[in-house]
Amino acid sequence: MVVYIGFIAIFLFFAVTLYDDGFLTQRNLTNILLQTAPATIMAIGLVFALSAGEIDLSFGSIVAVSALTVAVVLQDYPLIVGVAAGLGVGVAIGALNGVLVAYLKLPSFLVTLATMGLFAGIARSMTDLRSVPVMNETFTGIFGSGKLFSLPSLVIWTAIGVGVGHLVYRQTRFGAHVLATGDNPRAALVTGIKVARIRLYVLMISGFTAGMAGLLYAGRLQAAKYTLGESDLMTVIAAVIVGGTALNGGKGSIIGALLGSLLMGMLNNGLILMNLRVSDQMIVRGLIILLAVAVSLRDSKR
Amino acid sequence: MKHLVKTILCGAAVMLTPMIAQAQTIGPKGEAATPSSEIVVSDSSAETLKNGNYTAALLWHDQSDFVNAVTAGATAEFERFGVEVVATTSAGFDAAKQRSDIETALTKKPSIILSLPLDPVTSAAAFKEAKDEGVKLVFLSNLPANYEHGTDYTTVATDDLFQMGKQAADALAASMEEKGTVGWIYHDADYYVTNQRDNAFKTTIENDYPNISIVAEQGISDPARAEEIANAMLLRNPDLGGIYVTWAGPAEGVLAALRANGNKTTKIVTLDLSEPVALDMVRGGNVAAIVADEAYELGRTMAAAAMLDLLDQDVPPFIVAPAVTVTADNVSEGWMQSLRVEAPESLR
Repeated sequence: MVVYIGFIAIFLFFAVTLYDDGFLTQRNLTNILLQTAPATIMAIGLVFALSAGEIDLSFGSIVAVSALTVAVVLQDYPLIVGVAAGLGVGVAIGALNGVLVAYLKLPSFLVTLATMGLFAGIARSMTDLRSVPVMNETFTGIFGSGKLFSLPSLVIWTAIGVGVGHLVYRQTRFGAHVLATGDNPRAALVTGIKVARIRLYVLMISGFTAGMAGLLYAGRLQAAKYTLGESDLMTVIAAVIVGGTALNGGKGSIIGALLGSLLMGMLNNGLILMNLRVSDQMIVRGLIILLAVAVSLRDSKR
Repeated sequence: MKHLVKTILCGAAVMLTPMIAQAQTIGPKGEAATPSSEIVVSDSSAETLKNGNYTAALLWHDQSDFVNAVTAGATAEFERFGVEVVATTSAGFDAAKQRSDIETALTKKPSIILSLPLDPVTSAAAFKEAKDEGVKLVFLSNLPANYEHGTDYTTVATDDLFQMGKQAADALAASMEEKGTVGWIYHDADYYVTNQRDNAFKTTIENDYPNISIVAEQGISDPARAEEIANAMLLRNPDLGGIYVTWAGPAEGVLAALRANGNKTTKIVTLDLSEPVALDMVRGGNVAAIVADEAYELGRTMAAAAMLDLLDQDVPPFIVAPAVTVTADNVSEGWMQSLRVEAPESLR
């Protein structure tokens, strides 16, 4: 609930104060949607992981590995192979995290902290720190700059991601099992839920969405670089928590994560348009996120 | 006839000599460098610029003393001619954020963008929208791939990279009385700025100082490893007279290694200002000199180049700002010349 109020309040604040600076123009609002698309997709995966009582810190590194994979593969192979390789790498790393967490019973915080470093290193060594251009125009159209019925492809991917994510999370047995696992794993086990498998699956979903975000970055920048996704970790966690997902499992919202992500994008955008100094932008953003998280967590305890 | 040819050749040599001496730094596409002092907006243009209601966005790659000084230089120059700075951003070395920053800044319809493109590949698409909208693009150090001077961007400005490396070599040689052995710690990455500076140091030592020889060469990509690299270098070459370190961050590690070894004789020279490195220098430690760029002047010249382009005047494709050698004797002046701020209290 809080995220809805916070979203509207900040939107109205910027709409009034930045009216003359073009905040409300269609171009600027579209920019916010385009800029937040990869983070929103990552946030969907993280909602599943957190709801099951796990966390994934490695998704930023998966983004880079996946983006570089697709960029390198597309140099020699057709579109479908590149996309499959990019997404496949994401799912595979998610599965590695999942197996270590679900079957070796290692805490997901430590496992994904380790794989975050591991795959950040692999991303750096994959192309010797070089950026790789993506020349395949079909790919950059579908995953970056293209449009369908005048809707930008990144907006369509966001809508598909949120729609499918919300349905799976709210309307399927799997979604219910994820929440039950996060809420009380022992009780879930007693009722016949395969808790270990759920843990594996949620981390695979998180790997998949990170891989998808990597594709969107590669499409949008028409290039891939090892730094992609690195700075998204904190933004995405903040977006998900502000959106009403509990850090310790059993509760979450895909729509909330979307709004949380848009809120973060809106803050970045509005603070630049306000012409604040860079350090002031960071301070104000930090304070607003702190306030939003505090209110959101208080609200969820009621 | 012979005499005529000789005269022509001599004349050409006289004309070319100052150019070669002044500008050995070459641009990303091999362009010859124009000194920043030649990029000046005349006072008579003030009226036209002020009436144009022009605006500028400063879209940087990161935050640092260097960026602050470039920003200050650019902002002051813009203010002189009534150009308003409407947005300032920092991408934190994130290519995706740089792209978003450009899009967001374009909402304010700036006439000018000053920016350091993170790398040629990722920034080609990032700046496309701004380029297509006719924004005057002035780049710092890097150039997006396949961009053409005159149609796509105004100019690329950077430090006089060759001079920085050369002055570092001259300063180290002077501190070693022009004889002895040197270790060369260079940036092991395909990065235009550091590669040019490092190679200029090496070339100068090899060509200008016959009694100094480079006996150890070691690349570095992670500044945190500087101390162990220096330790290994000193183990193999205990009598090193001097060490060149590619920039100040790793130089702090090299300094730590020398101190740990109780070495008070090996001299260090490095590039870019840093308080800990300068402190060792003013206390008579290992550091002989630091060569810095004139970052404020770099900002001024970027702003001036963009305004000249708005006035439809020709702007050369590649501009360099001068280098300044800072030693224990001129720390305060050097800091002021480079960054236009007072040197830290500890150094005065």
